[in-house]
Amino acid sequence: MLALLGGAKGPKPSRAPPAYVANYEPQTVDERGLWSMADEYERELRDSSLVMREEALDGYVRRVLCQTVGDDRCRAVRIYIVEDPRFSASMAANGTMQVHTGLLLRARSEAELGAVLGHEFAHFELRHSLAGFKNRRSASDALAWVQVLGGISRQDTRDSEFTLISSFYRFERAHETAADLLGLAYLAKSPYPARAASEVWQHVMAEQDATAQGRKLKVKHRYTADYFATHPTELNRAVYLLEMAATLADDGDPGVEGHRAAITPHIRRFLNAQVRMNDFGGSEYMLRELAARGGWTGDLLFARGELYRQRANPRDLVTAAQFFGDAIKAGYAEPEVHRNLGLSLLRSGDVTPGRAALSKYLSLKPEAGDAKAISSLLKD
Amino acid sequence: MKIGLGLAIVLAAGSLPCATLAQEKSASRPGFVLPPASARIVLMRPTIRVGEQSTGGLFEPNADWSTQAREHIGLALRKAQASLGNEVIEYDEPAGGDRGFATQYGHLFSSLAGSVQEYQLFTGNRLPTKKRKGQFEWSLGAGVAQLPALQNADYALFIWTQDAYGSAGRKLLQAVGFLGAIVGAPMMVSSGVHRGYAGLIEIKTGDLVWINADHAMGGDVRTPEGAAKRVAQLLDNFPGAPNAKSAPARVVR
Repeated sequence: MLALLGGAKGPKPSRAPPAYVANYEPQTVDERGLWSMADEYERELRDSSLVMREEALDGYVRRVLCQTVGDDRCRAVRIYIVEDPRFSASMAANGTMQVHTGLLLRARSEAELGAVLGHEFAHFELRHSLAGFKNRRSASDALAWVQVLGGISRQDTRDSEFTLISSFYRFERAHETAADLLGLAYLAKSPYPARAASEVWQHVMAEQDATAQGRKLKVKHRYTADYFATHPTELNRAVYLLEMAATLADDGDPGVEGHRAAITPHIRRFLNAQVRMNDFGGSEYMLRELAARGGWTGDLLFARGELYRQRANPRDLVTAAQFFGDAIKAGYAEPEVHRNLGLSLLRSGDVTPGRAALSKYLSLKPEAGDAKAISSLLKD
Repeated sequence: MKIGLGLAIVLAAGSLPCATLAQEKSASRPGFVLPPASARIVLMRPTIRVGEQSTGGLFEPNADWSTQAREHIGLALRKAQASLGNEVIEYDEPAGGDRGFATQYGHLFSSLAGSVQEYQLFTGNRLPTKKRKGQFEWSLGAGVAQLPALQNADYALFIWTQDAYGSAGRKLLQAVGFLGAIVGAPMMVSSGVHRGYAGLIEIKTGDLVWINADHAMGGDVRTPEGAAKRVAQLLDNFPGAPNAKSAPARVVR
């Protein structure tokens, strides 16, 4: 852990990534084995119904990756956009990159998206899957010997086991820091500003605060990683990435508009998944953030109404009805807005306007699956 | 956290004394008969993983062994089925894909086979309703017939095997653990994992008509002879095979 704390002062960020070997093929038995497993996994991922197949969005994410790491590097990667509202992206040994829709919704600019994609690509370029596998194997080999020999000699080996396990996780965290550094070097060379890498983690922390507040929990950002942590803490990463970005003095257009334009056609789908995360504070925070950049659109207002309608305290239903009304005024045209408005009003005792909204829903969507249930609410 | 527990569990599982429970079981749908020399069987892309087991019990995938096993097992299967008079064709993915249906049905079959093993075939967690005599009712659903490449076939055969050959380190650990008996403290370490299962789906209905699962399989899948032995074990009690007992429903061994 100390080694990591030193990370901020230790290795210097460089402006130029190392020379790149294109069309890399796995070399050793271990590496070829890992790649073959990754290939099998990718076959399944390719056919998964969770993968979004939207040409324009795929093209956008690829463009951001290529702008960040360069055209020669990004050719090695297949990108799969996975419908998952959590903030995440990952990279497999063979160059399979998964990007969660939760990342697309949270990133505020092309630069922030590029920072995360560049970090993942760095794992690939540094062959971290292989090194991580070897680390896991040597740690578990040593652990097995300690347990068997300890069992035979009837010695208490818990201290040695503790040390072995902690060294395993320290190694994992060192990988993350190494990928952060190389990721920063990509950003510095790209048109995007290097400070975006730190900003990603600042925003993640702000969202964590909002989530905790919504759940009446205390939040504490710490600098030191937990014993079992596979990554350095968000605070640690935000700080060392910011310090290094400052030394690089790298500026550029973060591409806020470009990002907004790319995700807007799908934002309804992303928000729909987000408001079902049972995270009132975090979702409300994200909606406010999105509105701060592009104003309260019908999509955002509808999602906000849904958020309140799901929490469903009597006061929330009143608020929800208000947001649904605002969404309609802002031009939100899906029939469901009238249904949800009607249901919120009815439950608040506003019978006449509630039934009017439900009738509107039925007239707009007479074939709806719930048409029978809804029409039963129109009778006394 | 997850990985930490994972390490602990791998080790714990490795140190367990060998189970003395039955490790191979098969079953088929009551009254199901496969008339000899009649069936067109499509072999879905089998899941075949071959590698080593590290000292600590980790699976170390080996690309060459897996490729060899895939070839040998495919060949051995065609031979075995030809001797029963059945025709085995490999699943032919249509150009332009099948919208992922074959892969998704593969996953569905894996969960189905897992449920059959957990809740009916092996003791430990069997469901009371699945213990009844003559009861074998499992299905993927009739939708499987819509797969374009299954149009002219009668059955789909799914195969899953995983082999982890004990590495030198694992064997040494096992020997040292065993020698602990000298000082009165033996540490039992298992070496090698060889599991597999095979299942036959009737395409018309989607029903599972036969399944065979084995948690300690023989035959070295890295060689043609070993793969032939493995296939014979995977197809144990295959409907219509000479060694298969005839219907009604049974759970053998």
